[in-house]
Amino acid sequence: MAISTNTQKKIIPYLFLAPAAVLFLLFLVYPLLKGFQISFYNWSIMPTKPSTFIGLDNYVKAFQDQVVGTAFKNTLIYTLITVPGQMILAMLAAVMIHNITRGKIFFRTLYYIPVITSWVIVSLLFRYLFQSPEGLINYFLVEVFHITPDPVGWLQQAGTAMIPVIGLGIWKGIGWSMIIYLAALASIPHEIGEAASIDGANTWQRFWAVTLPLIGPTVVFTLVMLLIGGFNVFISVYLITNGGPMQQTEVALSYMYHQAFDFIDFGYAASLSFLLAAVIVTGSLLQMKFLRRPVEIS
Amino acid sequence: MKSKKWLPLFVFMTIVAMLVGACAPAAVATPAPTTPAQVQKETVIVPQEVEKVVTATPPPSGPVTLTFWHGYNADTETPFLEKTVIPAFEAAHPNIKVQDVNIPYDQFHQKLLTAIAGGTAPDLARLDIIWTPEFGDMGALAPLDEVMSDFATYKDAVFPGPLSTNFIGGHYYGLPLDTNTRVLVYNKDVFSAAGIENPPATVDDFLADCAKIKALGANHWCFGDGGTYAWAVDPWIWSFGGAMTSPDYTTSTGYLNGAQTVAAYQFLKDGVDKGYIHPGIKGGGVDTWGLLGKGQIAMILEGPWFPPSFKSQFPDVKYGMALMPAGQGGSISVVGGEDIAMFQQSKNKEAAAEFIRFMLSLDTQLQMATVGQMPVLTETTSSENLAKLPDYFGIFLEQLKNAQARTPVSNWTRVEQILTDAGTAILNGKGTPQANLDDAVSKIDPLLPKPAQ
Repeated sequence: MAISTNTQKKIIPYLFLAPAAVLFLLFLVYPLLKGFQISFYNWSIMPTKPSTFIGLDNYVKAFQDQVVGTAFKNTLIYTLITVPGQMILAMLAAVMIHNITRGKIFFRTLYYIPVITSWVIVSLLFRYLFQSPEGLINYFLVEVFHITPDPVGWLQQAGTAMIPVIGLGIWKGIGWSMIIYLAALASIPHEIGEAASIDGANTWQRFWAVTLPLIGPTVVFTLVMLLIGGFNVFISVYLITNGGPMQQTEVALSYMYHQAFDFIDFGYAASLSFLLAAVIVTGSLLQMKFLRRPVEIS
Repeated sequence: MKSKKWLPLFVFMTIVAMLVGACAPAAVATPAPTTPAQVQKETVIVPQEVEKVVTATPPPSGPVTLTFWHGYNADTETPFLEKTVIPAFEAAHPNIKVQDVNIPYDQFHQKLLTAIAGGTAPDLARLDIIWTPEFGDMGALAPLDEVMSDFATYKDAVFPGPLSTNFIGGHYYGLPLDTNTRVLVYNKDVFSAAGIENPPATVDDFLADCAKIKALGANHWCFGDGGTYAWAVDPWIWSFGGAMTSPDYTTSTGYLNGAQTVAAYQFLKDGVDKGYIHPGIKGGGVDTWGLLGKGQIAMILEGPWFPPSFKSQFPDVKYGMALMPAGQGGSISVVGGEDIAMFQQSKNKEAAAEFIRFMLSLDTQLQMATVGQMPVLTETTSSENLAKLPDYFGIFLEQLKNAQARTPVSNWTRVEQILTDAGTAILNGKGTPQANLDDAVSKIDPLLPKPAQ
């Protein structure tokens, strides 16, 4: 081999990167571009049957489809409630676990268990809990605490059917943010908090004015990740309400799924996916622009 | 220093080249429809060679493995298929192995679509009769009347109702494999507690019984069903004298929003409002078997798989079965069941046809009946064969004389979504039955096939 050591040094890193890059291009970039192409076609899933190019028709249809509006609205509501819900409760749990002296590992594990449980299993569990009238939630509401005189038909009305979905999203997500917050809290030097105490700051002031700004980048990171996660809610909706009643609880992905796999309209489903992608990309860009201000610990 | 500039570029180009190389065949294959169409024509010729072979010896020369997708239930039907039926077929056809794949009903449609799009469809599948028109229309299924030289024999041997679900655009894309219908199942203990002697013969009797059952307490429901999809509401619509569409399936105007259909929905709505019908039908579903077993729901509609499976779950519950309560239109239930279909992508069409013949043989049909699969061969209703069938089939065979198939149109899943939504709106009090059904009709009509000129 007549390649100099210097040249080898330069080639080798790329050789290590190549497998991952190939997989990335093959399984992410290519499907993405293919999906973009499909969105302009009346796509035939039969490999032997030609698809017809219909230009922007799928996108025009999406803007005229009322259920698309409902689905995007529900996705937004889900995100706007579950993201702050997860962040606040996760922060509360993280601060408490950070400050207790005994049972740290126990509580950390306890809060993290929902994260590692299967979406499918907990979704079915929630569906079961919110059954009407004989579900466990209704039993507690009516028989034990006498909060309502009659069982609530949770999954029968659009207004209440999103509650189990949102509740599941928050409950299952707390542990993930909590672990990240815990790590961030552990990285703050003791001295800073102590200095604040000497200056007369109470616990709340210490948290609000010292701790929170120091872990700011971490909070922003979880915010971005959770927003993306929120927009991608699917399994829980699919299994708990399946978009019902009357397609009132469809979210972007569940509606897309129904279009593709129930109604076999892959072109339309692809156009919906790109509309959702446009929303997510815009949102993420805005966040990066306005929220990313690193705080230095010096 | 030179290398610094070209190296990254070189590596990038290599990756791109690899990517293009890997993707090109897939990308090119899709927009070239002409060549594969010719391949299909070739496969059609093959079964004609079979014609000579079939009668004498088992067909293919080399060993062949068939894949067969089905949704037989896991507790009784699948084990029977795998331990008895398939081994018998393989023993008779040493060159053919059958690889069966059990896929739950709710994933079946999606998995099949994915497989078809990816060119990896199974050789054979047991399709819900409402899917055959869709897959046939799509071009995914092999026309059995062309592929099987002896198709006419089988066409004449099966019940015409289930057979009709296979006929799309001038060809038969499958053969019925099993059939079923829903009859009224009632909990005998609840009936005696409510002072009811006989199951309701008419809708009026049904309502009178409901009043008695409701008197048992708020936690008792007269009737329960899982939602407002066609499988649930069609028996009521038809028994009330209503219909989904015209007999040629070209319009729903005047049928789905006709007076009798409206009356059927009004009956369901009143039933929900009075607490006769379990609220799960409004959305969210209900565990009908569980509540029937506990005696909280007195009556449900169920198919022939019910007796063996329910017995294994609730061995001590006493239940009876009766025909669908009759309304203005008589006692009419819904035909369910499955077709067996062969895929265009199958490379082993001759062997696959052989398996279809085996599944439709009298022996296999009678064997599958022992696990609750109702046979589709007309000769099974002869008294000699009837004696070999389980006792509980009697009521289902009786009901099948007055049962209809759900609308066999290629857009069925969309039609059913509209129907289900309209029903849910009605039962939840969002608009009158008439207004909701008028709206549904305006959405369904464009999805139905155009009338023949």
